[in-house]
Amino acid sequence: MVTTMNTLNTNINLSNLKETLTDTFSAVELPNGCIKSENNTDSLGMQAKAVTDNILYFRVESDRIEPICTYIHKEWGYQLVLMFANDENEDELGTDLGYGLYYVFADKEYRILVTIKTVIGAAKPEVQSLSHTIQAAAGYEREIQDLFGIVPIGHPDAKRLVFHSNWPQGIYPLRKTFDVRSKLPMAKEEIRFRKVEGEGVFEIPVGPVHAGIIEPGHFRFSVAGEPIINLEAQLYYVHKGIEKLAEGQTLEKGLYLSERISGDETFANSLAYCQAIETISGSNVPERAEYMRVLFAELERLTSHLGDLGGVCLDAAYGFATFQFRMMRGWAYALADELCGMRFLRSVNTLGGMRKDFVKGKEASLIRQLEQIRSELEDTVSIVKSNSLFTDRVENTGILATPIAIDLNAVGPGGRASGVGYDVRRWFPYAAYDKLEVQIPEHNNGDINCRFNIKIEECFESIRLMVQAIETMPAGPVLEPITHVKPYHFAFGITEAPRGENIHWLMTGKNNTIYRYKIRTPSFCNWPALCYAVNGNIIPDFPLINKSFNLSYAGNDL
Amino acid sequence: MFNTLKKIIQYPRLTQEYPKIINSTANFIGQPVIHPERCCFCGACAQRCPSQAIAFDGAARRIGINYDQCVFCVLCEDVCQSGAIRMTHCFELAERSRAKLRPDGSVLTESAAAEPNTADAKPTLVIHEADVPAMADEALTGELKKHIMKVFGRSLQIREVDSGSCNACDYEINALNNPVNDIERLGISFVASPRHADMLLVTGTATRNMQQALVKTYQATPDPKLVVAVGACACSGGIFRDSYATNNGIDSLIPVDVYIPGCPPRPQAIIYGILKALERVE
Repeated sequence: MVTTMNTLNTNINLSNLKETLTDTFSAVELPNGCIKSENNTDSLGMQAKAVTDNILYFRVESDRIEPICTYIHKEWGYQLVLMFANDENEDELGTDLGYGLYYVFADKEYRILVTIKTVIGAAKPEVQSLSHTIQAAAGYEREIQDLFGIVPIGHPDAKRLVFHSNWPQGIYPLRKTFDVRSKLPMAKEEIRFRKVEGEGVFEIPVGPVHAGIIEPGHFRFSVAGEPIINLEAQLYYVHKGIEKLAEGQTLEKGLYLSERISGDETFANSLAYCQAIETISGSNVPERAEYMRVLFAELERLTSHLGDLGGVCLDAAYGFATFQFRMMRGWAYALADELCGMRFLRSVNTLGGMRKDFVKGKEASLIRQLEQIRSELEDTVSIVKSNSLFTDRVENTGILATPIAIDLNAVGPGGRASGVGYDVRRWFPYAAYDKLEVQIPEHNNGDINCRFNIKIEECFESIRLMVQAIETMPAGPVLEPITHVKPYHFAFGITEAPRGENIHWLMTGKNNTIYRYKIRTPSFCNWPALCYAVNGNIIPDFPLINKSFNLSYAGNDL
Repeated sequence: MFNTLKKIIQYPRLTQEYPKIINSTANFIGQPVIHPERCCFCGACAQRCPSQAIAFDGAARRIGINYDQCVFCVLCEDVCQSGAIRMTHCFELAERSRAKLRPDGSVLTESAAAEPNTADAKPTLVIHEADVPAMADEALTGELKKHIMKVFGRSLQIREVDSGSCNACDYEINALNNPVNDIERLGISFVASPRHADMLLVTGTATRNMQQALVKTYQATPDPKLVVAVGACACSGGIFRDSYATNNGIDSLIPVDVYIPGCPPRPQAIIYGILKALERVE
């Protein structure tokens, strides 16, 4: 499947792509970066930075959505990486009023992002579902249905996603008419789960409060004896309404909200947010800040991966290795403390650069500590790898097959362990990643062992990148403050979080506020993949498989 | 096997001896403190504070920080032109009542402009009258609780409940089990079920989807029990206050014994809060 995609792609270039979409589907190309074309020259007199030419927006009628998306996905092999809606019913937005629906496709090899936009009238909020042809669309369509009330017609399983039984029917919080402070009465709907029936088949409900110190989520297993036949995960227990909370807030407050999307991905999220605003404002981040961002992003990845490795060992009852990894994670936290005083790298990023020069004068100490973690990691890995009991447990357990990983757009270590060799740092480089050489490990078996190995190799790579960033970091300022941005402009922010590709889309409103903030973290893509990976495995292996993905509930539920 | 043994004896003791020895050399960011005598009452900090934690009254020349709401983001120190706000290294902030975390000592009087609805905002969960954790019950068990405290002052079983955090607090609680903090040396351990627990350690805002589970977990924990709210979200809703999907603090649903401010609180700050609940520290 991967090879066919590649051969298809080689024939496409940008002009060819534009021509096909405009001629065949009468799509209209929209200006990149702002909602009204006449609004291009803005009162603030700022010149929009030419964003990469490879980000394209097209507008089509809603009845052409299904054929055009199917064409892009099937004929060109582009992945659906994001789909979201936007309430564009405000008069100030021009004449094209309604709910904007955006379908974002990526050509990961040729670094092209194509966004297809359609506008749905508020009178009849419905759209043809794509889930039959593009499996990755299923989750997005359910999310949009819950938050905007746009019905996906023909969706195979359009049950509620974000809201549980307590949310009243017919109320959609991301519509502009909904007040964020509303406290609604508790409704009593029924939640139905997929039923597996047959002799000896029974259900095991788990959660939302789990046995370990982890986030809440409900898992409904259908099992026959020990092996799992089906797993349905009900998430969104930690849904806090972040996207709605951000609307109408200042850009500054948005930054602090973005830092609190998912605790251990603080830096990746705040970086994506800053990136989006820096693109809109057209400002250039100082080079030293770009290198510092690489340093912090890799430190976050290292910390996160060390925790995951320890977690897998803990769930395999391998105490020695668990405490080795936890010790190293403790060192990584101490490093963060020394750098910026914040273990979770909060208040480090700021719009236009870094809050302070955190690295100056600490270079030698940083390199020494990184070297200590590296040599300890080497020792530990060689001990763990020679333990056949452990390897036996993780090998061929929880396999995520490559075709499923591709169909569901599995990202990050979860995807790379199944042969999807995609990493934002290489394909859509940001910060200073284009100046550093990033090695992307790739494994193909898709089992826990592969994910474990990917994370080990990425730990070494992160340490190498950090040392390289410290050594090659130029001197100079670290902040070019951003105070004003143009209203009704939008941009993407794409980063590689520890768990994978992280896409934010931000549109500004009047007076430097946020009009719409769409967040898609890697966990949203990988949760459905996890539900496939457990099939056929025994129940006691579920915690192990879950830990090998280590997805964020908060990052998914928002 | 030989390599494993070699590794085990390679390092001396890594565990920090908190609370016996307070590690004060680190340069981490702790409590922000306002010096009103230096303040020019421009109101910039109160206006820009992302979690509206600064109680400010320009006319009466009063200013203070609601630590139960503060997310320790350093912004106030950065925007303050007169240098009246300073970040300190203090992390031992846990208090037995929320009022003590507020400058005016009152939970209800919040700056009226920012919070029009809070006074009459009630928890949205429909709990059956009989299910509400009754204060009468608390009073009845009060004496017993004191007695039991003496007993489980030495050993404590904790159940952690995430009621809607961003997972940073949960990672910090996880870090209590790592070799650096090793909370078991204090006779404190984490258990898998609320039925085995003496204390609930609750993080997060008690989201709409989690509030029923939180109350049920509380009810499943045998009396007498302690509840500790960890982090700004659990204390007051933090940065996620006043959303359609959150509650402003878990104390709108269940009684809380100790509040630990922070976003997230450091592991040692959590240890301090737990020990405070046990009355093992002052």
